[in-house]
Amino acid sequence: MQQVLEGSHAVAEAVRLARAQVISAYPITPQTHIVERLSEYCADGTLNAKFLRVESEHSALAALIGAATSGVRTFTATSSQGLALMHELLHWASGARLPIVMAEVNRALAPGWNIWTDQTDSLAQRDTGWIQLYCEDGQEVLDTTIQAFRLAEWVNLPVMVILDAFFLSHTYEPVDVPDQRSVDRFLPPYQPRFQLDLDNPCAFNQLATPDVYMEMRRNVQTAMEDALAFLEQMEAEFETLFGRRHGAVEAIHCEDADIILLTSGTVTSTSRLVINKLREMGEKVGLLKIKLFRPFPLSPIRELTATAAKVAVIDRNFSFGASGIFAQEIRAALCNLPGHPPVFGYIAGLGGRDITPSVIEDIYWSTKNSPAPELESLWVGLHEVDYAIGRS
Amino acid sequence: MATQQVPTNPAPLLIPCSYLTTEGNKTGSWRFLRPQYEEKTAPCSTACPAGEDIGRVLMLAAQGFFKEAWETILMENPLPGICGRVCYHPCEGRCNRKEFDEPVAIHTLERFLADTASRYELKPTFQKLPAKRQKIAAVGSGPSGLAFAYFMARLGYQADVFEALPEPGGVLRWGIPLYRLPAEILNEEIAQIQDLGVRIHCGKPIYPQFFKEAGSDYDAVFLGCGHSHSFPLKIPGEDLDGVEDGLQFLGKIRRGQAPALHGTAAVVGGGNTAIDTARSAVRLGAKVLLIYRRRRQDMPAFEDEVAMALEEGIEIWELQTPVKIGSQNGDLVVTLQQMRALEENDQGQVRVKPESNTRQEIRVQYLFRAIGASAAEHWYDPPKKRRGLVRLSNCALLPQSRGPLLVYGGDVVADIKSVVHAVASAKQSALALDILFNEGVKAIQPKLQTCLVGGGPAISMEIYLGGSRSQRNHSVVRYEDLNTDYFQFSPRIIQPGLLREERVLSFAEIHLKIGASLAIREAERCFNCGLCNHCNNCHLFCPEIAVIRGNNPQSRRIDYDYCKGCGLCVVECPRNAMKLEEERLCNKS
Repeated sequence: MQQVLEGSHAVAEAVRLARAQVISAYPITPQTHIVERLSEYCADGTLNAKFLRVESEHSALAALIGAATSGVRTFTATSSQGLALMHELLHWASGARLPIVMAEVNRALAPGWNIWTDQTDSLAQRDTGWIQLYCEDGQEVLDTTIQAFRLAEWVNLPVMVILDAFFLSHTYEPVDVPDQRSVDRFLPPYQPRFQLDLDNPCAFNQLATPDVYMEMRRNVQTAMEDALAFLEQMEAEFETLFGRRHGAVEAIHCEDADIILLTSGTVTSTSRLVINKLREMGEKVGLLKIKLFRPFPLSPIRELTATAAKVAVIDRNFSFGASGIFAQEIRAALCNLPGHPPVFGYIAGLGGRDITPSVIEDIYWSTKNSPAPELESLWVGLHEVDYAIGRS
Repeated sequence: MATQQVPTNPAPLLIPCSYLTTEGNKTGSWRFLRPQYEEKTAPCSTACPAGEDIGRVLMLAAQGFFKEAWETILMENPLPGICGRVCYHPCEGRCNRKEFDEPVAIHTLERFLADTASRYELKPTFQKLPAKRQKIAAVGSGPSGLAFAYFMARLGYQADVFEALPEPGGVLRWGIPLYRLPAEILNEEIAQIQDLGVRIHCGKPIYPQFFKEAGSDYDAVFLGCGHSHSFPLKIPGEDLDGVEDGLQFLGKIRRGQAPALHGTAAVVGGGNTAIDTARSAVRLGAKVLLIYRRRRQDMPAFEDEVAMALEEGIEIWELQTPVKIGSQNGDLVVTLQQMRALEENDQGQVRVKPESNTRQEIRVQYLFRAIGASAAEHWYDPPKKRRGLVRLSNCALLPQSRGPLLVYGGDVVADIKSVVHAVASAKQSALALDILFNEGVKAIQPKLQTCLVGGGPAISMEIYLGGSRSQRNHSVVRYEDLNTDYFQFSPRIIQPGLLREERVLSFAEIHLKIGASLAIREAERCFNCGLCNHCNNCHLFCPEIAVIRGNNPQSRRIDYDYCKGCGLCVVECPRNAMKLEEERLCNKS
């Protein structure tokens, strides 16, 4: 059924349809409407789940680790500082192989205080062993959240469904909310592969000596590789039931493009308009949207960029002392391919600054007009700063 | 697009998992701090002259165990229905809850429990002690004589009470007006004391020769004769018609002999008798002036009583003292001397001296004197010095070479003349006597010292009898010792009462009864300082599951094989009923 939903509520509807059993969250800024709506659903019985209101994000995830170990379907949501506070337990959740699903609303990290969108919070957690999926619009948010449970439970890894603050979390769009029966077909009740059992007591996740630790790490990586394969098959099944498919990556006009713009999140939607306009002007431009960041979809990215002359990556994030994080990943993906296209890195839209069509157009022209990247990262639209301010 | 086949199995999992029991890891060996259950003393119970176990009483009341709560009061005080009405409740002044919001309405709850026992005609169940051979008499059936006989009977003695007047109760019957203490309450609590086997002989005045004659009948005689002789004003005109003694006047009202009053009555004094006299006079139709030589804040009367007197229209004239009373056309003309306040003494009471040339005359129809009282006979008072005299904080024992041992208690020895102090004096007398009979005079002081509530001065009968209260640490719980995260703000109950307009029309009791649900809600406000109410926090918070609970809450214990001494249980105990001590090496053997 079509409904007009904000991105946060699209997540909440998906969690309701997924019949999550334990939801844990810390209800303060930078939290969003996601758990507000879910707590209402738990309170009024719409969703038969235990809602744990804990005392910090660290506890929110710790509580879910306990709950998931007991064999139930679990969910939490957070943002920026909240996610940073969870850091230690992010590692724990993946190492313990718990299929926890989290909605992560991309918000800028403080200081200065800024609750607008910025991907650095989630990208800073890229090595924690969580699957990361970056969404573009409300529909994708809802579909991806439902899929996330299926994916997590299949590979026994936690999944982060990531959406831009405000541009997505607080923006109302028409969203098709599927019926419960269809979702139940796609996502049957969770069947844990291991769980706490009073009749057969055991302890999980204690000492792992050098003899076995390395094999356990490799086992996580195997699951990541599994996830890459499973995602495609799961999406096919989803498409059969619901008629929609989003893909680990999505390529638009890439096959004959000289320059490929590489985006993630809501900036992709704006870029779609821009490349249509540029195409009408006769420019051979393509757009490659990256949704799946971990595991990183190396093969499709290599294949789709192989024929391009240049790749321009728009990063709404930054790794201090290096460059935009998506650009780093793309460079790493391509560097061993002989004759690979040069990668132009652009930093734009940090801390919620608008990335308008003209910003994207400028990025295109700048890429087209430069024979090779002059800098690792080009910061787009920086204002002149009067450094005298605040000194006195 | 054709649907692809979903892989049939995900990759195998490799995670650490152990089926070995962790019980082999005796984490108790890490411990260097040892948590222990240790009940402590609530401050209210130390402020109560009778040492009532208030924290426990209110815990039982909150759980709906009204009979057990009432019996817990009776352990220390035979007169809860009376004290729940007339006591000045020093307990509430020490209530830790006052640091949080408002003190618990202990006074109201004491009365509720007594009223509930009365309503359901409950009979207390007491542990029966073996009958003793000594026989005991009490002279005077006021609060101290009644309480003394009660405690002696509880200890197994046969006690006879001798009362000069035709009905028992002393000041409770003749001195406290009905609007504060209805007669049926007094009668019920006296009857309960009689149920224990105490015999009360009314209309039997006692004279000094009794102590010689009674030598063979009684081993000890308690003298709780009280202060029934009012001080005279010692001014001209005191013997005029219309000048009357306040205590006598209150007695007359109780005998139904008081006339309606017309015009203005002056009451001289600032104690409780003065207030009772003034408020009674209002009810008989007079306009009342209360004349007091010091300032209002120096009045020894209980604060609540003074406040209610003012509400009832009584005017207080402070720093005034009558110096002469004359008569004119049937009216009394009272000459008042203005006084001047000088410096305060240690008790915060001010010294006063006459202001020169500032006198005024007032015309009144009645004058009641209530400036204090003393023992009616000199032999009611304990001798200052006598061979063998044992003076304790709240009573005096005098062995006689011929005749029974004399025990002096009640108002004649108490610093504060109140019902609860009389009970405290009677309890000390009874326990001292029991110790003397069993172990001799030398044992009295050291043994009583072990029965103190907290640091004293209150003495506990339950501790004396070796009840569970004797296990408690004497240290008094401070507000900072509680974990108030577990308590919620909640307003104190307001005891319902008659409107001021209704009050002054009759001697009907002012304060009304409260219902059980209201009482439980108020009792739940009690922090139960230092007492375990089995809230189970220690069990819930123990990370080692080392707090073991059997089927009965009393069987709660700590399994020191696994307790690693983190102290969470002690921190999370809301009531400070646990302690954490450094582990002694000898425990680690």
